[in-house]
Amino acid sequence: MSNLAVETVRTFDTRTEANTPVESPLAYSYRRSGAPAPGADSRVVLRERPFMGHLVLRGGAIVLDDAVREVLGVSLPGEPQGLTLDAEGQRSIQWISPDEWLVIVPGGEEFELEKRLRAALGDAHFAISNIGGGQTLIELEGEAAHELLMKSVVYDVHPSHFPVGKGVTTLFAKTSVVLRRPSESRWELIVRRSFADYTYRWLLDAGEEYAIGVER
Amino acid sequence: MSQPRQQANRLAQGGRIDRSRRLSFSFNGQTYQGHAGDTLASALLANGVDIVNRSFKYSRARGIVAAGAEEPNALVQLGDGEAAQVPNVRATQQALYDGLSARSTNGWPNVQRDLMGLVGKLSGSFMPPGFYYKTFMAPASMWLTYEKYIRKSAGLGRSPMEGDPDIYDHLHQHCDVLVVGAGPAGLAAALAAARSGARVIVADEQEEMGGSLLDSRELLDDRPADQWVAETLEALSAMDNVTLLSRTTANGYHDHHFVTLHERRTEHLADTAPRKEGRRQVRSRLHRVRAGRVVLATGAHERPLVYAGNDVPGNLLAGAVSTYIRRYGVVPGQRLVLSTSNDHAYRAALDWVEAGREVVAIADARANPDGELVAEARVKGIRVITGSAVVEAKGDSRVNAARIAPIDIAGFRVVGTAETLACDTIASSGGYSPVIHLASHTGCRPTWRDDRLGFVPNTVPGVAAAGGAQAVYATAEVLDDGVAAGRQAAVEAGFEAVSVSPPQVPARRDGEACALYQVPHEKTTLRAPKQFVDLQNDVTAAGIEVATREGFESIEHVKRYTAMGFGTDQGKLGNINGMAIAARCLGRSIPEVGTTVFRPNYTPVTFGSIVGRHCGELFDPERYTAMHQWHVEQGAAFEDVGQWKRPWYFPRQVDGKTESMDEAVARECLAVREKVGILDASTLGKIDIQGPDAREFLGRVYTNKWAKLAPGRVRYGLMCKDDGMVFDDGTTSCLGDNHFLMTTSTGGAATVMEWLEIWHQTEWPELDVYFNSVTDHWATMTVTGPEARKLMEEVTTDIDLDRDSFKFMDWREGKVAGVPARVFRISFTGELAYEINVQANYALPVWETLFAHGNKYGLTPYGTETMHVLRAEKGFIIAGQDTDGSVTPEDLGMYWAIGYDKPFSWIGKRALTRPDSARAGRKQLVGLKPRDSQVVLEEGAPIVLDPNHAIPMPMEGHVTSSYYSPTLASGFALAVVKGGQQKMGESVYLPMADGQVHEAEIVSTIFLDPKGERQHV
Repeated sequence: MSNLAVETVRTFDTRTEANTPVESPLAYSYRRSGAPAPGADSRVVLRERPFMGHLVLRGGAIVLDDAVREVLGVSLPGEPQGLTLDAEGQRSIQWISPDEWLVIVPGGEEFELEKRLRAALGDAHFAISNIGGGQTLIELEGEAAHELLMKSVVYDVHPSHFPVGKGVTTLFAKTSVVLRRPSESRWELIVRRSFADYTYRWLLDAGEEYAIGVER
Repeated sequence: MSQPRQQANRLAQGGRIDRSRRLSFSFNGQTYQGHAGDTLASALLANGVDIVNRSFKYSRARGIVAAGAEEPNALVQLGDGEAAQVPNVRATQQALYDGLSARSTNGWPNVQRDLMGLVGKLSGSFMPPGFYYKTFMAPASMWLTYEKYIRKSAGLGRSPMEGDPDIYDHLHQHCDVLVVGAGPAGLAAALAAARSGARVIVADEQEEMGGSLLDSRELLDDRPADQWVAETLEALSAMDNVTLLSRTTANGYHDHHFVTLHERRTEHLADTAPRKEGRRQVRSRLHRVRAGRVVLATGAHERPLVYAGNDVPGNLLAGAVSTYIRRYGVVPGQRLVLSTSNDHAYRAALDWVEAGREVVAIADARANPDGELVAEARVKGIRVITGSAVVEAKGDSRVNAARIAPIDIAGFRVVGTAETLACDTIASSGGYSPVIHLASHTGCRPTWRDDRLGFVPNTVPGVAAAGGAQAVYATAEVLDDGVAAGRQAAVEAGFEAVSVSPPQVPARRDGEACALYQVPHEKTTLRAPKQFVDLQNDVTAAGIEVATREGFESIEHVKRYTAMGFGTDQGKLGNINGMAIAARCLGRSIPEVGTTVFRPNYTPVTFGSIVGRHCGELFDPERYTAMHQWHVEQGAAFEDVGQWKRPWYFPRQVDGKTESMDEAVARECLAVREKVGILDASTLGKIDIQGPDAREFLGRVYTNKWAKLAPGRVRYGLMCKDDGMVFDDGTTSCLGDNHFLMTTSTGGAATVMEWLEIWHQTEWPELDVYFNSVTDHWATMTVTGPEARKLMEEVTTDIDLDRDSFKFMDWREGKVAGVPARVFRISFTGELAYEINVQANYALPVWETLFAHGNKYGLTPYGTETMHVLRAEKGFIIAGQDTDGSVTPEDLGMYWAIGYDKPFSWIGKRALTRPDSARAGRKQLVGLKPRDSQVVLEEGAPIVLDPNHAIPMPMEGHVTSSYYSPTLASGFALAVVKGGQQKMGESVYLPMADGQVHEAEIVSTIFLDPKGERQHV
């Protein structure tokens, strides 16, 4: 190992400050399928929030909860399918499975966050994986967002069954997405990069009825 | 086209149609007029169109019989242009719109004068039941020829020959209570459930909700019934928790209260969906409903009586007559004879008289009918002939008389002289059959109720039938039943019961109905004129009798032998009559004979709505890598690998011509062997593995050893299923002592991930290790070939590329093109190779930078085909191509990758010592070199040792991979051959389908650079 210091787990900052262009997972889709601008009659608006920091946390809830409270100032969601956000609504933690949480933070914060979490977790058994290049976040907003989701996901998105602060992994058309509801009016889809184009084209097609617009 | 005709049968007033809106339509090329609110059937009847079709088997003239889903005859081919063609639309369910164009599905060349009609007349004994089985099934080779003509004459409509211009979609619905049917029971149930707060969906198949209340003579709360319907619908639609879906048929009831509703959104407007606000609309929508509880308020279908000539146009259901008069303002004739077994059917005669037409007589099968409706008919001066029935309808293209005779039902005989009464319409009613189709879909068999003369659904937890579907017919009772069912469903779904009082309906005293199905004739059933049971499938009472005589005693066999209840009809009109006749012939009771099974769909569903938007470009997800656009712009041909689109090869323009695949692949192969090539390898599965027991876990899931792999090093690994058979392979890199990055095959990524989780969660939960997929996070570019190092030197400054410090099977991190990267010296080509991994959002710029520097080295993009050739030259396997789930690591000769002495057993190890895994003569992987170097063997070709052996020849193996190698200037192949590892240098033969026999020599699987020097440079 000529240029590596030996560690038990090898962290790696995959971002660069250098002036290198980046391409969001939807960049190709915009060029290929276009992005209709939202109009006065648009009942749903789609907005990608690319380049966020995405970390997967694996481990026991009690240990992880202590660490994220110390480092992020928010606690893990108290129950399955829970989603918690920090005061500014910029950082979130979502329950994914009994030993798995998804942390999303503003782009560029994730490597520092990972290091601080690792320090806080010490010898505990856990794993943190950076997956920010592998998925993107798509927001849907507007009165027809709910019905557009009914066309797309099998899961029951009725407000009585899907209140604010909930998140699930579910079937979306013929792929899967993480679907969550951070606020009354806004839904978020977390989509794997390689499926992003399919998801985007699906949403444009299914959203035509509601004059879907894309904010860029 | 001729001038539109007058609507001779249209009443001056009454009905729910809008007389101010005239609509023009055409039927069989003739132009007619109708009104908004008409169905195609009511408009045809208004215009006096008697013949709407020719029958399936006998080609008899047929008219409209019913007013709803149970209509057997009025099947039309709808649509103006070719692309808009829809077959088998029931005219009774098709709303009229301006410009509607329809034709009879049968009646080649036309319905009025039918070529097949002669056949039909002669075919009484010519086409007995089982005719098709008996006549056309032999010789089997001729069936396709027969079938083409049978189809044409049978007339089941035709599919459009052009693509469908319309769009369709699905909506996933969830509710606490689904109410199917919006007649009195359904509306009452919906109101009761909705008031309790439950999420309610109400689906009704008709143009308007209200069901029987839309043509009822009764008063609800002292007002016409349709006023209560309007108020109730208004109340329901004002509630947030209620979804009302009209024009929506519940077609299938699947497991766990999953019900599919088919909503026709534009079929009442035009044959293709018109645009709305400039945007496309979906033509129909499939609602996929997951319901907590289901109330089936599907009502009942009236049963016609089975009598001779009962299929001649002018024979209608009694209830349909009332519906046409009261709902559409159409009287379908001048002179009516009614034949009935019950009081309710008297409505038809009363409505007919009130419409100002003549009722010739009512033949009532009962000796002493005495209900209120009977009294009302007598008061109106209608002649009621008791103890009698219409035994025969006379007429060819339209009824011209009815023969009425006294009958003995129990003795099944005519007991007096028949009287012939001139008339043009015969309405009949043999009682009512609850619509139990949906309940049947759940798998539960219905129960016969002698007191109600019908089958009622058996109870399934969570499902309740209400009203007519439960054989409850009196309006007051139906409303109560609906309220109770709705309330109960809501309570079961966890809501508080709320009291709902249904409207008051004056009680009506009805006399008891009698059980009459087939009316006896003076002649025996086999000799009497045809008495039709299932009009759509041309099944007669005689046919059923013949079937029972020929030994078909089970009702399921009778159904298949006669075709009763087949196809789009699904036994709506005739099934119960058919069962009753079978029961009579067999000397059994109806419950002893039982019912056949009704299957989804209740009525035909277009393929479009089944498919939804999963078609065309959205048929299946296409997965793209971060460099996809570059590949597209370079004109790559793509190959599907799982759902990924991978560049297959990159054809170039050479002298104005596009390279063929062989030419492109040969050029790409030589570029890698002689200069440098680049492959987008992003699709390989990548799994980040962390934890103190990660290394131990790897040792258990891979066949080879992992204990000593140091950080910075990479190792090839082979994975077996627990049966000892290879299922995936790839390299795994040690990132840190407790941290590994595993790669899998492209297609195997998800399977391997699940495999690791299953073994961890179920077998070795004590191992501290976690797995996370990072496949999409990293983009991977393989730079390979003798010039690879030179190119790498230009794009990285902080990775020491010296061959002795960054060796084969090492990995390093640093920056490539200014972007943080992990670089792996692993090779699937056998050449010097660097696999560059960068975060996918940076991938395209990095890829482009490599080309900016690579052109001078001849950097050539290559695709999966070249990758296959290059790896096969080196004898590297592809799991799933060279293995098929029956190949062990030993069969592959990969003894070097088998850790026989690892301390903890690994998955598949024990299976390798099974007698079958250890036996001699297993198929083993070898190389094949065709004797003729220009031959490229066929993949999958069987291998024999003696080409002159008599057929069947003993098969010794088959070709798994085969290509032409431009480097070797020869075809070459990988194959599995029995005991192949001991047969080096021997000849084998490959007999081909065209008679050629290829000869090949068994050689090592490694065709190029056997010592592996090129990848170590």
